[in-house]
Amino acid sequence: VSAYPLSGLKVIELAEDPAGEFEGRLLAEMGADVVKIEPPEGAPSRRIAPFVKGEAGVETSLHFWYYNGNKRSVVLDLREKPAALDALLADADVLLCTLQPQALSQIGLDLHALCARHPRLIVLSITAFGLTGPWKDYASSDLIALAAGPLHMCGYDDHTIPPIRPGGNQGWHTATSFAHIAVMLALIERQQSGCGQLVDVGMHEANALNVELANPFWFYPKMNVQRQTCRHAQPASTQSALFKCADGRYVYYALILSDARAWQQLVGWMDRKGMAAQLSEPEFSDLAHRQAHFGDIQSVLECFFLVHDSHEMYHEGQAAGLPIGVLNAPEDLFDDEHLRARGFFVDVDHEDLGMVKYPGPIYRFSAFEGVPRRRAPKLGEHTSEYLP
Amino acid sequence: MTVELPAPGAARTPGPRRGPLAGIRVADFCWMGVGACATRVLADFGAEVIRIEDRKRLDMPRRLPIYKNGKARTYGEEDPNPDPNKGGLFNNYNRNKLGVTVDMRSPKGRALADRLIASSSVVTENFAPGVMERWGLSYERIRELSPQVIYARMSGYGHSGPHADYRSYGPVVQAVCGLSHIAGLPGMEPSGWGLSYMDNEAAFFNATALLMAIYRRNTTGTGTEIDVSAIEAGINLLGPVLLDVAVNKRSTRTPDFPAGNRLEYAEAAPHGVYPCSGCDRWIAIAVFDQREWQALVAVMERPEWARDARFTTQSARCANQDALDAQMAAWTREQDRYALMQRLQNAGVHAMVVQNGEDINEHDPQLASRGVFFELDHPVIGEARFEGMPVQFSRTVQQNWRSAPLLGEDNAYVFRTLLGVPDDEYAALVEEGVL
Repeated sequence: VSAYPLSGLKVIELAEDPAGEFEGRLLAEMGADVVKIEPPEGAPSRRIAPFVKGEAGVETSLHFWYYNGNKRSVVLDLREKPAALDALLADADVLLCTLQPQALSQIGLDLHALCARHPRLIVLSITAFGLTGPWKDYASSDLIALAAGPLHMCGYDDHTIPPIRPGGNQGWHTATSFAHIAVMLALIERQQSGCGQLVDVGMHEANALNVELANPFWFYPKMNVQRQTCRHAQPASTQSALFKCADGRYVYYALILSDARAWQQLVGWMDRKGMAAQLSEPEFSDLAHRQAHFGDIQSVLECFFLVHDSHEMYHEGQAAGLPIGVLNAPEDLFDDEHLRARGFFVDVDHEDLGMVKYPGPIYRFSAFEGVPRRRAPKLGEHTSEYLP
Repeated sequence: MTVELPAPGAARTPGPRRGPLAGIRVADFCWMGVGACATRVLADFGAEVIRIEDRKRLDMPRRLPIYKNGKARTYGEEDPNPDPNKGGLFNNYNRNKLGVTVDMRSPKGRALADRLIASSSVVTENFAPGVMERWGLSYERIRELSPQVIYARMSGYGHSGPHADYRSYGPVVQAVCGLSHIAGLPGMEPSGWGLSYMDNEAAFFNATALLMAIYRRNTTGTGTEIDVSAIEAGINLLGPVLLDVAVNKRSTRTPDFPAGNRLEYAEAAPHGVYPCSGCDRWIAIAVFDQREWQALVAVMERPEWARDARFTTQSARCANQDALDAQMAAWTREQDRYALMQRLQNAGVHAMVVQNGEDINEHDPQLASRGVFFELDHPVIGEARFEGMPVQFSRTVQQNWRSAPLLGEDNAYVFRTLLGVPDDEYAALVEEGVL
């Protein structure tokens, strides 16, 4: 009986960007043996900042560490030895490949022919625009990928400011999310049919379909949504949901006026803190009155938040039953009492540096423990295990 | 990809399913966006997903005023007396699923749900913590009913820890996990997200967790409980900045963070979003090296300003991005956005029109060629468009057999045909309002 969901699965990774590398990491973290093929100079991601202490080098890229944990690194120059890949694929289950069509033909790699030679192999291709279509050779990046859809929904109320990219490589990560679903579907299919297949994931279309309400608003009332500051893009403008607090930090709270219970919870809470002002007057229990005075309500709310600290507003608001969120910065998360109680962050051993905190599991299964986490491999660390 | 559609005029009665998940029955207690979007993946690929709904507490997407030929209403502006079968968002999230109504407040309703669970091998839910327990539906109980069950629980904070009872939805998750803070212009409030990105992403991770559990169960025969916290998923999406904070102890509460559309971790300039001709029309352009800069300069027909020493090397351009962006915007402002994108891409420069819903659906030849949308008829809404999977499989079939269920549409099929509830008992359950 296998210890982890993907124990026994062998994945060969030819990935040059975060979409593919993140997918390889997600598979490795569920027990798959992920072998990352790198050219002699190392994967391009080893040269991307941030670096440990700001010092560039193939073993110090935190970008590389983030996306390549739990993998093995094998150095293989595919231009020199194209046949070596076939040998590695002979007992592999998945080839994860991010090369666009032109790059594939440059190294003489034909994914369809590969599938034909290895009928049980699942070729998971994750590329900028997919393997087909008029834009298949277009160049992409995180910003370019997000422009396909989500970017138009993000930015500020002031539309002289262009749409603003949401941070953290989400264009790439969106492709990863769909790729992970797709490869699992192909693996389940193979359990029944014994057959592998070519799975072609396009980052452009993944982003174009990851726009939540923008597509339904076009499918049905044929409307476009307009971006607003840190809240949902909508066909018409809505009140701000971002409130500045006394400590200079922000909380998110969207007041839904028509929700009578939420209104009582809010006003009760403000009243207990002596700051409900006119909102506790009886006429405000009438929705029409609230709607007519939405601007006043918003002003009272702004004052209320501005004189209290963000964490007080977050925890007390939640205790009052309101969906309020504090805008944490990444560095705040390590001290969050909830994440600590759940043991979320995990220590990963980086010999020279000691233990480094990494984000913990995305999913927790009662049926098995989490896979022990290992640091990203050094360049060619496992070459001798795989190549003669 | 192989996408199957029903024959014109096909009956809405459920039939045999095709796809890798055929034969898997899901008792689906999910609602709202996250849950419905996660189980949609299962339904698209063959699982018999049976949504259990409450007539007295309609699913939010059934109530939101996203109607065909509707007026411009924001999604917080609910219809006081909605037609539960008219909502476009519900249709979008619940195609290929069956729908039943059960009053879980009544003992008879809960007994029926138990029977449905006993005949299912997957149970899914995304209620506030405690709701399923109130109905007696702990993992232990569900496993008694269905020994190999996979029980997927989706929530904002997860099912343990001091904040497990906190209320959340997409924007709250994005705030708490750090994603909202890391987007915006320096010196301004965060611009964050204009969508519930984490509702979608949490849905995809939940779907993946379900698929991995199914994959494992296919060989071991053992099920599992799954706990996914959307906030923990969101932290996993923060990207390398999280390690920069953990290892280098850098702060992200500094006047120069976040960097707007510029890249902090790569030398790229220009790297931004620039205006095009028309109202609120934009193009994203990214230049990562000198070769791409030369290509851009050639497309711009070698303007005088590009020879200025502030712009001739990548590091000089990075140091002078305000001036560079002003020059770029002056050049792009009068141009047609799609034509400009084509010229830039043909020259090897990263460029993409900033597309809105209309552009995605009407103006993007790549999406059209990849066939990512399909249409299904609906008895109340009529023909409607749907988002498919942005993946082309050479073997796997996505079988689209029906649009979203009407409220309680499959009660008779599920309870009488599948579970064998006798006719008189079924009639009594309807009469008493249990169904």
